Amino acid sequence: MSAVTETSDAAQTPLWRRVTTALGRRGGSSLLAGILALLVLSQLLTTPAFGRWANIANILQQNSIIGIVACGMLLMIILGGFDLSVGAVGAMSSVLAATVIVHVGTPAGIVAAVLAGLAVGAANGAFVALLGMSPFVVTLGTQSVVLGGLFVATQANPVYGVPESFTRLGLGRIAGIPIVTIIFAAVVVVIWATLRFSRFGHYVYAVGGNREAARLGGVNVPLVTIGTYAIGGTLAGLAGVLLLAQTGIGQPAAASTWALSAIAAVVVGGVPLSGGVGKVSAAVLGTFLLGVVSNALNLNGVSSYWQPMVTGFVILIAVGIDSYQRQRRASR
Amino acid sequence: MLTMTQIRKSFGGIEVLHGVDFTVEPGQVHALVGHNGAGKSTLMKVLGGLYHDYSGTITLDGRTQHLRTPKESLDAGVAIIYQDFALVPDLDVAHNIALGREPGGRGWGGVAHRALARRSAQEAERFGITLPMTTPVRRLGVADQQLTEIVRALARDVSYLVMDEPTARLAPAERAQLFRIIAQLAERGVGVVYISHFLDEVVEVADVVTVLRDGAVRAVGPASDWTADTLARELVGEDEIGDRPVVPAPGGPAAPARSETGAGAARLEVRALAVEGRPPTDLTVAAGEIVALAGLVGSGRTRWARALIGDLRTEGRVLVDGRPLGRRNPRTSARAGLLLVPEDRKVNGLVLTGSVRENIELTALGTHLSRGGLVRLATVDRVVRDLLARFRVLPPRPEILTKNLSGGNAQKVLVARAVAARPKAIVLDQPTAGVDIGAKAELHTQVRSMAAAGTAVVVISDDLDEMLDLADRVVVLANGQMIQDAPAASFDRASLLAAMSRTAVA
Repeated sequence: MSAVTETSDAAQTPLWRRVTTALGRRGGSSLLAGILALLVLSQLLTTPAFGRWANIANILQQNSIIGIVACGMLLMIILGGFDLSVGAVGAMSSVLAATVIVHVGTPAGIVAAVLAGLAVGAANGAFVALLGMSPFVVTLGTQSVVLGGLFVATQANPVYGVPESFTRLGLGRIAGIPIVTIIFAAVVVVIWATLRFSRFGHYVYAVGGNREAARLGGVNVPLVTIGTYAIGGTLAGLAGVLLLAQTGIGQPAAASTWALSAIAAVVVGGVPLSGGVGKVSAAVLGTFLLGVVSNALNLNGVSSYWQPMVTGFVILIAVGIDSYQRQRRASR
Repeated sequence: MLTMTQIRKSFGGIEVLHGVDFTVEPGQVHALVGHNGAGKSTLMKVLGGLYHDYSGTITLDGRTQHLRTPKESLDAGVAIIYQDFALVPDLDVAHNIALGREPGGRGWGGVAHRALARRSAQEAERFGITLPMTTPVRRLGVADQQLTEIVRALARDVSYLVMDEPTARLAPAERAQLFRIIAQLAERGVGVVYISHFLDEVVEVADVVTVLRDGAVRAVGPASDWTADTLARELVGEDEIGDRPVVPAPGGPAAPARSETGAGAARLEVRALAVEGRPPTDLTVAAGEIVALAGLVGSGRTRWARALIGDLRTEGRVLVDGRPLGRRNPRTSARAGLLLVPEDRKVNGLVLTGSVRENIELTALGTHLSRGGLVRLATVDRVVRDLLARFRVLPPRPEILTKNLSGGNAQKVLVARAVAARPKAIVLDQPTAGVDIGAKAELHTQVRSMAAAGTAVVVISDDLDEMLDLADRVVVLANGQMIQDAPAASFDRASLLAAMSRTAVA
C-alpha cells in the first residue's frame, strides 16, 4: 500500500476539465468569451431570428445602459467595494433630468442629472474613505435616502413632458448602431484609458489590492476612494439620463435592479469581489453574456418568469467555474 | 518514526520535488535547510496534507498514511506551524488552543467555557509555557502567538511538529526561549522538524540536518558535522561559490565604499519625536550613513519608524535636508523623500494581486513617474526593467504577479519600489526577514549602494549580523527610548545582544 496518486496526466484528464483549464489559463474573461461565443453560435444555428441585425441592434440597445453602470461598478469592485445605490441614483437622475428639461432646457437637465449622480457617488466615497464604513452599509444607506427623497419629492408620480427630440438620444441610431451603444463604447474607452494610462487608475488597483500597502507607499487613499465612487455615481447618473431618453418618462420606480445586474455583469466577467484586479473587457463581456441569455430566452418564447432563474444559474456557473480555476491555480 | 520515501510533486507539469527521502525519529530535532525554492515548504505541505496529488509513500510509526487533507495529517499525529500563523485573532488564547476540540457544555452545541480555560492553561503548563489565557490573540506579540500555536498543536497529542521559520520574527531573547522549548519537546519524545534560514541556529538547535537543493536531498547528517559556513556551501552548491558570496562578509560583497566624506551633511534629523506618550527621541543621520536601530521585540522600533513618517500621531519635528516636514503623513513624507519600507511584505508591503511593475511604480508615481496625472509608461517600463536587473529579481518580468514570487524576490521588489522613488532618507524595517542567503546578500548590496548614493539609511533588524555588517552606527532602543548610540565597529554580536537585553530589564 502506498499513497501514490497520479500526477495530472493529459490522457486521463476528462475533456471538460482540459477545456476549462485551457480557457481558464488565460484568465476569467477569455473563459467567458468562450461561453459567450458558444451561446451565440448555438443561437445562430437554432434560431434564425437571432442573427438578424434588427435583433443584434436590439440586444445592443437594451444592454448599453446597464453596461455603462457596470463600467462604474467595475472601478468600485477593483477598489474592493461596490455600490448598491446606482439604481436609486439612476432613478433620481432620470426624474431630475425630466423635471429640469421640462422647466429649463435639455442641456441643463442632462448636466444637472449627471452632477447629482456625481454628488451621491462622492458622498458614498467620503463615507467609505473618511469614516471607514463598509461600502455595503454606506451604499445601502444612500440608496434608501435617495429613493426615499425621490418618492417624497414626486409623490411617486412619473414626470412627463420630455420633448420628442430628446428620445432620439435614447432610441435613435447612427449607421444602424444605437446611439446609446455609441455612448457606452465611449464610456468603455474612457474607463479603459483611465485604468491604463492615468495615475489614478493605477492607484485604484493598488488600493483595491492592499489598502495598507498603498497608504504606506504614499498613495492618497481617501482621495482615490472618493474619486472612484464619484465616477461610479456619475456613470449611474449618465445611465439615468439615457434611461429617460429611452422611455421619455421620469419614473421614480425605475432602475431598481441596476445595482445587482451591474454587479452580476462584472462578476460574471470574472472579476473577484476581493478587489485589486479587473478589466473593462470583463464588464463588457459580462453585460452582453447576460443580455444574450435573456434575448435567447425571449426569442425562444420562454416565460419571463423563468428568466431570473436562468440568469441566476448563469451567474453561479460562470463564477463557479472561474473560482474553481482560481483555486486550482492557487493550490498548484 | 516518520518516513517520507520518494516524494514527488509537480506544479503544472513541472516537477519540483524529485523523489525526496526524509526521516524523523521521535525525540529528534531535524533541521530542513535549503535556499528559497529548494522545495522545503513544498515537502512540508505534502506532509501537512495540503496536496492530494503527490506521489511517494509516507509512513508514521510503521503505518502507511494517506495525507491528502490537513485533517488527515493532524489525525496521523503531524502538526505544522506555518510562518503565517493560523490563529483566530479575536478569540482569546485559551479558545485558540482549544479550537476544534471545545469541551461540550450543557445543551446542544454548548461550550463549557470555564472548563475550556482551565484545560488550556493546564495544557500550556504541561510544556512549561506561560501565556495570558484571557487575552485576545490579536493583542499578543509575535512570540506569544507562536507559543499559542505550539501549545495548540501539542495539545492534540501530535508526535511530530514542523516549524517553518519559527525564529524569523523573534527577538534574540525569545529565540532562546523557543530553543529551550524545542529541547523540552524533544526530551518528551516529540519529533521536531525545524526549517530555518539561520544556519548558526540550525547547527545549534538540531540533531540532524537535511539539505535540500533544487528539489532533491543533497546531504543528510548529524548537525555536529556542520558549521554554519560548511552548511551554507552545501546550500548554494559548490559551483556557485566562485561568483557569488555565500555568507555576506563584513564590509559586504562588492560593497561600494562607505561614505568617504566621513560624516556627510545631516540628511535626516529627528527632533524630540515622542511616540505615544513615550519620552522624546532625537536622531541625526548623515547623507550616506547607515544607522541600525537595534532593540528587542516590543522595544518600539516599528512604531518609531511609523511615527517618523507620520503614520502615528506624534509630537516632535522631522527635517530632511534641513527642511522641516509640516503635517507628516506617509504621502507627504514620501513626497519629501522620506520613505519607510515596511516589515511584513505580505500584510502591509506588497500589493499581492498586482504585478511587479505595479508594485515598483507605486510610490514614484506620486513624483517623477507621472506627469499631469498620466503615467509615463515608457519611463516606468525602463525604470522597472532596470531595477529588476539590478536587484536580480527572478524571473525579471515586469508583468508577473507578486503573489507568485518567492520570499526573496518579493522582498527585492518591495525595496526596489523605494529605490524607484529616489529617497533622501529611508527606513528599512526587517529588510531580509525570511529571505534566502543569496537574496539577502543582494539586498545588502543594494542598501549599501543606496547609502553610497547619499541616502540616509536606518535599518531595523532582528538579525545581529545584518546590523553589524551593514551599519556605520548602532542605536539601541528600549521601551521607546534611545539608550545607546555608538559606532557599529565597537560592537560584536555578543556585546550588541547584551546591550539590547540588558536594557530590556531596566
